[in-house]
Amino acid sequence: MALSRRDFLKSSAAASAAAAIGMTVPTEVEAAAAKAEGDWRWDKAACRFCGTGCGIMMATKGGKIVAVKGDPAAPVNRGLNCIKGYFNAKIMYGADRLTKPLLRVDENGNFDKKGRFAPISWERAFDEMEVQAKKALKESGPEGVAVFASGQYTIMEGYAAQKMMKGGFRSNAIDPNARHCMASAVVGFYQTFGIDEPSGCYDDIELTDTIVSWGSNMAEMHPILWSRVTDRKLSDPDRVKVINMSTYTHRTSDLADIEIIFSPNTDMAIWNYIAREIVYNNPDSIDWDFVKKHIVFAASPVNMGYGMRRKGEKSLTPVRPDGSAGKYDALEMQTIDKEMQITVSEKEAPALAPYGYKAGDVMVNKPAGLKHWEIDFEEYKKFLAPYTLDYVADIAKGDPDESKEAYGKKLKALADLYIEKGRKVVSFWTMGMNQHTRGTWTNTLAYNVHFLLNKQALPGSGAFSLTGQPSACGTAREVGTFCHRLPADMMVKNPKHRKIVENSWKIPLGTLNPVGNQHIMKIHRDIEDGIVKFAWINVCNPYQDSASATHWINAARNMDNFIVCSDGYPGISAKVSDLILPSAMIYEKWGGYGNAERRTQLWRQQVLPVGDSMSDTWQWVEFSKRFTVEDLWGAYTLRNGKKLANVIPEALKMGYKKDTTMYEILFANERAKSYKVDMNSFPQQGYDNSECIGDSRNVVGSDGKVFDGYGFMIHEYLFEEYADFGRGHAHDLAPFITYQRVRGLKWPVVDGKETQWRFNSMYDPYAAKQTKENNNSHAFYGPLAKALKQGDLKGMDKASKKKGLKNKAKIFARPYMDPPEMPDDNYDTWLCTGRVLEHWHSGTMTMRVPELYRAVPEALCYMHPQDAKDKGLKQGGLCWVESRRGKVKARVETRGRNRPARGLVFVPWFDEKVFINKVCLDATCPQSKQTDFKKCAVKIYKA
Amino acid sequence: MTTLSKLTISLAAVLLMAGCTGGVSPSKSGASETVSEESLGLRKTNLYTEDTTTGDKTSYGKEYAGSGYKIKRAFQDAPPMIPHDIEGMLPITIKDNQCISCHMPEVAASMGATPVPVSHFTNFRADTAIAKNGKITKSGIEIENTSTDKMAHVSIIKKDQLVGARFNCTQCHAPQSTGKLAVENTFEAQYQQIDGAEKSSWNGKEFMKGLDTEHGK
Repeated sequence: MALSRRDFLKSSAAASAAAAIGMTVPTEVEAAAAKAEGDWRWDKAACRFCGTGCGIMMATKGGKIVAVKGDPAAPVNRGLNCIKGYFNAKIMYGADRLTKPLLRVDENGNFDKKGRFAPISWERAFDEMEVQAKKALKESGPEGVAVFASGQYTIMEGYAAQKMMKGGFRSNAIDPNARHCMASAVVGFYQTFGIDEPSGCYDDIELTDTIVSWGSNMAEMHPILWSRVTDRKLSDPDRVKVINMSTYTHRTSDLADIEIIFSPNTDMAIWNYIAREIVYNNPDSIDWDFVKKHIVFAASPVNMGYGMRRKGEKSLTPVRPDGSAGKYDALEMQTIDKEMQITVSEKEAPALAPYGYKAGDVMVNKPAGLKHWEIDFEEYKKFLAPYTLDYVADIAKGDPDESKEAYGKKLKALADLYIEKGRKVVSFWTMGMNQHTRGTWTNTLAYNVHFLLNKQALPGSGAFSLTGQPSACGTAREVGTFCHRLPADMMVKNPKHRKIVENSWKIPLGTLNPVGNQHIMKIHRDIEDGIVKFAWINVCNPYQDSASATHWINAARNMDNFIVCSDGYPGISAKVSDLILPSAMIYEKWGGYGNAERRTQLWRQQVLPVGDSMSDTWQWVEFSKRFTVEDLWGAYTLRNGKKLANVIPEALKMGYKKDTTMYEILFANERAKSYKVDMNSFPQQGYDNSECIGDSRNVVGSDGKVFDGYGFMIHEYLFEEYADFGRGHAHDLAPFITYQRVRGLKWPVVDGKETQWRFNSMYDPYAAKQTKENNNSHAFYGPLAKALKQGDLKGMDKASKKKGLKNKAKIFARPYMDPPEMPDDNYDTWLCTGRVLEHWHSGTMTMRVPELYRAVPEALCYMHPQDAKDKGLKQGGLCWVESRRGKVKARVETRGRNRPARGLVFVPWFDEKVFINKVCLDATCPQSKQTDFKKCAVKIYKA
Repeated sequence: MTTLSKLTISLAAVLLMAGCTGGVSPSKSGASETVSEESLGLRKTNLYTEDTTTGDKTSYGKEYAGSGYKIKRAFQDAPPMIPHDIEGMLPITIKDNQCISCHMPEVAASMGATPVPVSHFTNFRADTAIAKNGKITKSGIEIENTSTDKMAHVSIIKKDQLVGARFNCTQCHAPQSTGKLAVENTFEAQYQQIDGAEKSSWNGKEFMKGLDTEHGK
């Protein structure tokens, strides 16, 4: 924009005058002023990408982002970012940003499932969504309206979506992509601690002597944390030990003192081996004082299946003589049939012996839920007996070219490091342990070892679950955008919790639906079964990121349903949707994220959105205007026969009318309006606020008129109302404005002070309160499942009485078991998927950044050179990767950063053109419902 | 206005790209044109079969290290991309970091390499320890919060050695495949320094610049 001197004087004066009297400053004018002054405007923000939660400094000029640098004031990353972090600068500027809503239409402009996309107005978009959502409600009730939610939602977006879905639509069918990423960690936390999220914090890295990475390529997936590990290692190379536990060699191995390559799923056996070393061979290392005061032992059913579809489900009907069933062919059914029963293998038989199984026995699988019971220590000891070094080295050795003896020595060295008195140990993990058909179990096994040794919730020691996404903790978990959750660890099935939320939201008691079972794979399956008729995709890419992808894509495209996708760019999910909504991206809106060390970080809107894009918050709030009390709050009968009462009479008693909109109730209520737009002071002064005051684009909104803002500070309102649920309940957040000032704080924030180590009475005020009288070092005060019946490994004694375990945590007996699909003669290779450093998830943003695209333009099939040779493949040549579900082509890489042993290949999933999720299996941990993307059986051959 | 013109370009780009693949056709629904599913996004091939789809082939530049070829920084103080062939130079291990053998400032000029800048010899992370009373300390000072609104807690310490946190060079620097981009990017490079495309300026007073975001300093 070329400004004349006269324009410059005018704009400078306008900017300062406007600031003085508190009026809106259009971005262009202000930007022009800044330019004229020759200044860049720097502001702090959080990185868009992984769960590390780095702080960035972001410069804007002329209404555009012009630079990003590491933030020296940010405690997480101290002036350093990874390559993705720096290139946050460019992620919003891909040339094919979506700028207008696009609807599939016929020749007359009417919605047509088979039609081409036509640009339409926001008003037309919401008209169609309203019609389709009402149709879905009529046909399937609240279970027919679903949302693919996200661990990349801002806190405010997630809260707005959850409020409208659960409070408005009375639907719990909202579940985030975070389900795919850390659900097993969550159930592990709930079962062990009774409350979600880690005890430790990143300062553990600087304070520890030992870093063990379990199924987590931190060097690529949490690069800044890895830079801290590297710094720690280099600062004291002899004392500090780094161990990498993985199913293939990768960059995290490069700095490790010991690398242990294990056969997929046998991490469970290795954890139990370490525990056995402690209990059988080093009993003196057990801190009995700690264990007696703080721990109980527990067991749960083992025959719980693998989270696949069960016999009799609509899409598995009818079963045909050729072995196929419903929409699944005979090859697919070879694996899916194991959901109902398996034959115990030689490999898992020793581990299952204490449960009464032997090799060749048929195990009949039944849904087990989360049930568990207390056992005594002797029973736990009996459970550990099979995990001798001999057995574990046998089943766990992942490299056929390594000797068992050498492998055994490394396992022993690993156990010794954990056990060594005075040695601090941090165990980190991410997807390897979470994306696992026994993910919940494996998470709990990690705490077992740390508990026995009293090396948990201490500075420099602890089992520490890292999270994958930037706000998997902050939004998905803390806000509770899961089908079964409510904010601050409350649950939809708990009537007291529902009441708390109904009161806060000023909605009639009995509005909230108590049945929350539509997790993300269930939503896909419900679409395939014809139950879910309306699905809205928010800040995620479920049609690229879900395993068995072909099924879900076919269901979206070929069945009677309406799929809406909000996105900044047209990814796979947008392409298969019926309506695409152009969405404001990260720095085009006010927002907040919560990272893996419980640190909440907020940022301001830096620039205006591109085109007619608007934020997800705005989209939800506008959608809420289309639904009234009468539309949504009548009686329903759910699939399981449960009835949702008609709450309209109650709503009328509360002063609402039949035609009061959800907008008025949920978003533009009295409390909301008390948060003022104040362009005259920090933090709003000088910053755009498209939702609250509109902006100079004059976007024509959902009613066909120029949108000029809600007139109140909706971001602060949503944040504060949400934060109130956690305050006083061990989830305390500081006020909105505090987070505008600081580089995040680790909750619980009590009296302005953050919490470093949870459950530790020295650092955590909630633990201190519990231990005031007994002077204990810890209090594991999480409230969930804190009374257990008694039993043994084989089952619960139904006649036993529930025993309370206030302030205690649990050590679980959980055996090694095989995954449902393993290599055989025909599909002879393990397939593992994951990410690469340079790309984020499905690549929708990072593939559009030239530097990141050029760094890794394609997903490669990483494999061992001997495997390539044996299969007649050449480095750089194309191969097919084929499973029972589908196949993709990829180029062979035998010399790259990932170096698998013979028998395993790694193919990352960021590349739309190497659509590896067509190959993967949608088996999940049956407890957490998290998909196991890390293992299925494939064959590889020349393409 | 700048923003508006970008929007137009952006919208035009969608339609233009669609046009290239024959995806645009007029619609009776009004003035707007329709686009096909295939015309959208990175993957222009049939989504329902993999027979005709392959990834974009990687083809890193083959210039040898020390050839003098450099890639411009993407913006002021952006990490430079690796302009030379790195075949055989990775992995980086504790004992063997081949990158620094050429890029350390004392040898870089003679090797024709970009020197590791001052920022990489600056430690921003205060020493973390647990005091005798159990409290966490940073640089020996007991702290209550790891982050405050006081900029005084920012620690900037000049080091003689490469800071350990910067040891993993490939965390920020990557080789670049040649050939066409999947999609163009409309980001416009801006440099505050005249040599900003070649050199880091992030040192000295620049470290603290803009950090006080409440007062805009």
